[in-house]
Amino acid sequence: MSTAIVEVSNLSRVYRDVTALDGVSLTLERDKIYGLLGRNGAGKTTLMSILTAQGFASSGEVRVFGEHPYENEQVLSRLCFIRESQKYPDDFKPIHAFKAAALFYQNWDHALAAQLAQDFALPMKRRIKKLSRGQLSAVGVIIGLASRAELTFFDEPYLGLDAVARQLFYDRLLADYAEFPRTIVLSSHLIDEVANLLEHVIIIDQGRILVDDDADNIRGSAVSIAGPAHLVESFAAGRAVLHRESIGALLALTLDGALTAAERREAQELGLELAPVSLQQIVIRKTLDAGASLGSDGSFEDPTDIERKETQMGASR
Amino acid sequence: MNRALGVAKMQLINKWTFLGIPAIILGSAFALTLAIWAMLPASAVTGIKYSGAGQAVMWYFFALGIQSLTLTFPFAQGLSVSRRNFFLGTVGLFTVVAAGVAALYVVLGQLELRSNGWGMNGRIFALQWVADQPWFVQLFFYFVLMMFLFLLGFWGATLYKRWQATGLLVSGLSLALILVAAFGLITWQGSWAQVGSWIVSLTPLSLGVVALGLSAALGVGAFLTLRRATP
Repeated sequence: MSTAIVEVSNLSRVYRDVTALDGVSLTLERDKIYGLLGRNGAGKTTLMSILTAQGFASSGEVRVFGEHPYENEQVLSRLCFIRESQKYPDDFKPIHAFKAAALFYQNWDHALAAQLAQDFALPMKRRIKKLSRGQLSAVGVIIGLASRAELTFFDEPYLGLDAVARQLFYDRLLADYAEFPRTIVLSSHLIDEVANLLEHVIIIDQGRILVDDDADNIRGSAVSIAGPAHLVESFAAGRAVLHRESIGALLALTLDGALTAAERREAQELGLELAPVSLQQIVIRKTLDAGASLGSDGSFEDPTDIERKETQMGASR
Repeated sequence: MNRALGVAKMQLINKWTFLGIPAIILGSAFALTLAIWAMLPASAVTGIKYSGAGQAVMWYFFALGIQSLTLTFPFAQGLSVSRRNFFLGTVGLFTVVAAGVAALYVVLGQLELRSNGWGMNGRIFALQWVADQPWFVQLFFYFVLMMFLFLLGFWGATLYKRWQATGLLVSGLSLALILVAAFGLITWQGSWAQVGSWIVSLTPLSLGVVALGLSAALGVGAFLTLRRATP
C-alpha cells in the first residue's frame, strides 16, 4: 500500500532576495495524513503551490501521480489546494463557491458540503467578502473536504475558527478520511492540536526539510527528564540536550533520542521524573536548533496569538 | 465533462455579472436617453438627435475583462483548473456574449430606423456610419469592437497579475513610446495627409478588420502572459 503519488527531488524556489525552498526532496504516499509543519514563512505554502502547479519552481523535479502537474488536467483534476489567503470572485457567496467546486470535482459531495456549512454555521447567502476570518476559513475547509480529491492540501485551515469549530473540522476530517481514504496534507503551526491526526510529519524550516518521519517515531525521539539538578545532570551526561529549564534546585532537560529500558529503570531508581515530549515541543526544539541564528523567539504561535492576529485582521478588513 | 466549459459555467454562476448588469446598463442608458430627448423643446433640435448611450454597455465589458481575470483566476487555480482551460472557457464565454450583444445591437438599430428613431427621430444604435452597412457587417463590427475591449481589459489584468504595477507601467510606457515614435516618423516623412485620408477612407468593415487583428494579438498576448501567472 505504499505507493508514492508525489515525488519531489531537489526542489528550489528563489525569489529576488529570498530562498523560499532550498533543495527539498520528499515523497508522499497514497492514503496517508501528512502534517507539513513549520513556522510562518518556512516555505509551506510555496511548496504546496508548486505541487499543485499554482506556483513555479526555480529548479528541481516534481512528479504528481507520475507526471508533471503543470497544465496537466489528468493530474490537476485529482488535486485540491485552497490556500489560506484564497481569493474568491467579488460577488460570490459560499453557495456559488460550492457550485463552482462541484463543476470541477467529480467526487464532489453536495450533501456533505451542506452538512458542514450547517455545522460551521456558515451563512450560505452572504457575500464571501463580508464573511469573518473564521467563516472564510470554513469555506476553504468545506471545499477541501467535500471535493474528496485524491490529494488534498489544507493550508492553515483553522485560522479564525473557534475551538469548537476546529474540533469539528478535525473530527469530520477523520470521519470522512476513514470512509474515503485519500492523501491529505495538513499545513499547520498549531502542532499539538493536529498531532493526533498525523501519521507522518514533515518539518520545514527556512526552505529546508528538517524532519521527514512517521509521527510515532518522532514522538519517541525525545524524552523529558526532571528532578534534582545534580542527579539529572549525571544521568544526562554525554547525551544531546535539546532543552534545559531550571527552577531552584530542580532541573528539567529534554534529551534527544529514546531511552533504553535499562536507562528508564535507572532513572526511576534515581527518583527522576520521565515524561514524553509533545510533538510541538520537539518541533520547536529542532527548529530552534537548526536556526539558532534566527533570534530570540522561535516559538510557534499558540492559539491565543492567532486569536489576537485575527481580530487585528478583522478590524482592518 | 469538459473543464473549459466548466470555467464558462463558473463565470455564469452569478448571473448578475455577465448578464444582469449589462442588461440594466443597456436598459437604463436607453430609457434615460429617451427621457432626455422627450424633454428637449422642439426648437432646440433640428434633424436627427444622436446619442452615445449605446457605448455604455461596451465599456462595461472592458471592466468585465479585468474582473473575470483578477478575481476568478485565483479561484479557478484553487479548484485546480489549468491556465489553458481558464483562458479558453473565459474567452469562449465572452465570444458568445459579445456575439449576442452584437446581434441585439443590429436588431435594435433596425427597430430604431423602422420606428423613426423611437418616434423622436433619435439615433442610439443605428449610427449612420455603421447603419448604412449590410447587417452582417454591422454584426461583425459590433462584435469585434466588444472583443477588443474585453481582451484589452483581460490582457491588462494578466499583466498586472504577473508583474503587478510594474508590468502595467512598463507596457503602458512602451505603448506610448511606440505611438510617439510612429507620430514622429509620420511627421518626419511628411505623410500626415495620407494618414488623414486613410482614416477618412476607413469603413466599419476595414476598421473591424484592424480591430480583429489587434484583438487576436491581445488574445495571444494574454494567453502567453497567463501561462506563467500565479494566483
